[in-house]
Amino acid sequence: MESRRESLKIIGAIGATCAFPFAADELYGQHAHPPSRPPAVPEEPFQPMFFKKAEYQALSRLADLIIPPTGTPGAVGAGVPRYIDQVVSANAEHRTRFRAGLRWLDRESKKRFGKRFVRLTEERQTELLAPLSQAVDARRARTAPEHFFRVVKNMTADGYYTSRTGLVEELGYAGNTVLAQFPECLHEH
Amino acid sequence: MPQKIYDVLVAGSGPSGGTLAAHLAHLGVDVAVVEGGPVVDTRTAFNTHAMPFDFPNRHIPTMKPGVPGFDSERSRGVGGKSLTWNAVAWRYSHRDFKGRSIDGAGEDWPIDYPDLAPYYDQVEREVGVCGNRDGLPDLPDGIFLPPVPMKCSDKIVQRGAAKLGINVIHVRKSTLSVARGARPACHFCGNCMAGCDVVAKYNSADVHLKPALKTGKLEVFPNSVVREVIVSEENRATGARFLHRETLAEGELRARCVVVSCACVQSVALLLMSKSSRYPSGLANSSGELGRNFIPHFTGGVQCFLTELIGKPAANDEGFLDHAYVPSFMHQRKRDYARSFGIQFNYQNRRSVGWARAMPGFGKAYKQSIKERYPAFLTFSPYGEMLPNKQSYIDLDYGKRDRFGLPLARRQYVWGENDRKIFHDMTRWSVEILRSAGAEIQSVSAEPSTNHELGGCRMGTDPRTSVVNAGCRTHDVPNLYVVDGSVFPSASEKNPTHTMMALAARAADHIADRLRKGEM
Repeated sequence: MESRRESLKIIGAIGATCAFPFAADELYGQHAHPPSRPPAVPEEPFQPMFFKKAEYQALSRLADLIIPPTGTPGAVGAGVPRYIDQVVSANAEHRTRFRAGLRWLDRESKKRFGKRFVRLTEERQTELLAPLSQAVDARRARTAPEHFFRVVKNMTADGYYTSRTGLVEELGYAGNTVLAQFPECLHEH
Repeated sequence: MPQKIYDVLVAGSGPSGGTLAAHLAHLGVDVAVVEGGPVVDTRTAFNTHAMPFDFPNRHIPTMKPGVPGFDSERSRGVGGKSLTWNAVAWRYSHRDFKGRSIDGAGEDWPIDYPDLAPYYDQVEREVGVCGNRDGLPDLPDGIFLPPVPMKCSDKIVQRGAAKLGINVIHVRKSTLSVARGARPACHFCGNCMAGCDVVAKYNSADVHLKPALKTGKLEVFPNSVVREVIVSEENRATGARFLHRETLAEGELRARCVVVSCACVQSVALLLMSKSSRYPSGLANSSGELGRNFIPHFTGGVQCFLTELIGKPAANDEGFLDHAYVPSFMHQRKRDYARSFGIQFNYQNRRSVGWARAMPGFGKAYKQSIKERYPAFLTFSPYGEMLPNKQSYIDLDYGKRDRFGLPLARRQYVWGENDRKIFHDMTRWSVEILRSAGAEIQSVSAEPSTNHELGGCRMGTDPRTSVVNAGCRTHDVPNLYVVDGSVFPSASEKNPTHTMMALAARAADHIADRLRKGEM
């Protein structure tokens, strides 16, 4: 990459002396792509702006059920709950929906399995969420819990795949670089 | 001290105003460009290389902190929309200029391809357009820099389209594929529409206006929001009044000739605001046609995954966004509508994974399905030509004012039957081509949306049905011109900016010639 930057400078310098009807003096070629800033290290313990402690725990569990850690971190490891807290705290409709949704989740957990949501096994948690997810996938989300699940899933996907963890580590984003030439296909077809 | 009288005042500094002003300056004409927005240093002002995770809310703002704003509506900055365009550059053809003569619908242009061809040549020499000479009669070749290679995914689409007898060609863009002058070749960082910070992509500020300043004939007045074109008792345009973008102080410049190049909707708005006793319904509006014949392109969209690429490793393939194009083919086939459509595709970048929301399920399988499809995601955006209709127009909403106290422009559009038919057919064909390329379709737009605003100051020979003549001069005021997309009598399905720039170069010749003859 370094050599590409050098060559850009040279091309720019030579080019500037060429006859060109609208030639400018400035060299536009001196260019570098500094690496974007490393992620800020969250100061611990994190204080959510909107969610109460128990709510934040349940939200974190929900997000990690939607995008779990595999070979790469999951939603919690990528800081998604923090992102959701920021989005929700700024929107009255979301605040109402999340408070009610998380309340419903614990009530339903206790009713069916006798425990709060975060205390359930992963199997039970998945069992609770599956019908909500199916309704969303079939585009027939009608009830408040179904809408709540849809919004949590959307925000989790948004937050995860715009994070460095999601975009670079998980998906392997490789762009935003300086290429001397546009590459031929490197896939095996 | 008597105020300077410029030869020409150009309102607007985008691709049209910028091209026009630079050409005039090089022709020895004294030009003042009045631009509502600030000067933008394209090398430092934009968040060109930012990533979403650089920002807590994951939204990448257009400008860096502390850089003057870049409003989307009335004030955009010196360079206008060329700062953030995608640089696609097609020549229009005889079929685009003479649509009515060919299929009986819409309107003909009063000019034809040979009138504009030499100006396309000029513009291509100046700005540098990369592309392949394809020899297609409806997409004339020009003076091209070498084309940029297609992406792997483009070639998959190309093979699928070929099975249906449909051509996929290299895109043509006003982006350098080889270094020229002070500008380096594109380095394929994939951020074109965030603002190119090396000027490999054309923008009117760096490529046209800045060099033209050296002629000593051009002055640029940024942060000056034009609110009125002044017309004398003798029916001559004599200048413009404007407000300072920040202080709201009033200003005025005088000129022998005035050109309105504020981009389609804002050009119409400026003329509508410039009322007088002679022109009570807006300047140059004796026909009542000002604002009418608004014909933006309409687009749809298909999102899909190319099965051939599902599960492959992610590639650094953002390139300079779209590298290929499906030129219109339906105009050569049997169909039940007038005009046609073309398809832009594969111009998504890989920083945006919004489609992940719509993948079914949750948990490990959900996460895995997104990872597998990430390298295979591709969007198709067909663009159709809208026909003018009575319910589609631009007017002013005096009930809503911007921070300058000026009424907001209002866009009204209703899709006609022909538009609906094209929309339906272009969506159907998009899906068909993608299926033929082995794609898994994720979503299909159900309704058209608009892009590429055109029309409102129709060019024509009849002063009763058009606003400007074939030279972009208003029928009503002999030294007032409108030069931008608003003059297009018909829209074609092709990206329009290259044609606006050729029109601007042509208008510059007309204006300089008339000044020389003492007609202004």
